[in-house]
Amino acid sequence: MSDRPPAHVDHDSQLFASRSESTLSAGALTCMANIVVPRAYPAETVIVVEGEPCEAAYFIVEGNVEVYRMSFQGRQQVLVRLGPGQAFNTVPLFQVNGCNHASAIAHTDVTLYALRKEDFPRALRDCPDLALVILQDFANRLAHLTDLVEDLALRSVRGRLAQFLLQQANGSAVTQKWTQDEMAAHLGTVRDMIGRSLRALTNERMIKLDRGRIVLLDRAALEAEAQN
Amino acid sequence: MVDQWTLPEIDLALCTRCGQCVAQCPTQAVEMQATGPVIVRPADCTYCTTCEAVCPVGAITCAFEIAWDKSAF
Ligand code: SF4
Ligand code: SF4
Repeated sequence: MSDRPPAHVDHDSQLFASRSESTLSAGALTCMANIVVPRAYPAETVIVVEGEPCEAAYFIVEGNVEVYRMSFQGRQQVLVRLGPGQAFNTVPLFQVNGCNHASAIAHTDVTLYALRKEDFPRALRDCPDLALVILQDFANRLAHLTDLVEDLALRSVRGRLAQFLLQQANGSAVTQKWTQDEMAAHLGTVRDMIGRSLRALTNERMIKLDRGRIVLLDRAALEAEAQN
Repeated sequence: MVDQWTLPEIDLALCTRCGQCVAQCPTQAVEMQATGPVIVRPADCTYCTTCEAVCPVGAITCAFEIAWDKSAF
């Protein structure tokens, strides 16, 4: 990591130009340049560690950064990969005693502008456009996370559904018939998730839906899915 | 074994004749008759389960048997 004097304002224009929805006025860019601290990190460097006190928010000038969290099982869940013009670690800037919500690692060599927590109130006061850019960033992030949560929930339902289908098909000679509502209640989810999971498994040719029959086609793939 | 014309079951005792199943069936397989909704074109029913999902009183049941593809053995 290296702290260098703030770069020329032209670089700042580039910083935000790549995101049409997040543009700062020339005046705001000038005052930003007086507040942010340019930093460079080689690829694979951890920039921010989840749970540690927040020191700064970062705006990416060049390169890519991956934001991730660790699950309780120690698995790394990449939340998002960000590129030039995008910001990360902005949330804890708004919180009293805010801690980093996620870790961030340089995916490539990166150049960033750090906006230190102690400078943030001044930055907001001096550059009102900055608040707008950060809010737009929050809105984008919220939309992305909403999709991610839905995807994770769906994946876990798919796994449980695959396991359930295997159990049923491998089970006793007495054939029980199931409605999608019954499957949902059995697996602790809602009908819509069952419908979508069945369609997903169908699209991946693990099962096929016949009139009144769920036909299992690919044992290995279903067993792998059930492990998820 | 499931016969060729496995169809959604409609419980006319529960049915309120609201017509949702008729309105939303994507293949127009259901019609409202004097007795209530009837799958008048069974060959057109794809067993998509839309009628089951939209029925506000749970009068329609689309149940599935779960089995291995016999041709795989
Ligand atoms: S299962 Fe689908 S196609 Fe068949 S009657 Fe119901 S809505 Fe129509
Ligand atoms: S949707 Fe249900 S209640 Fe309404 S007409 Fe069809 S079966 Fe009857």
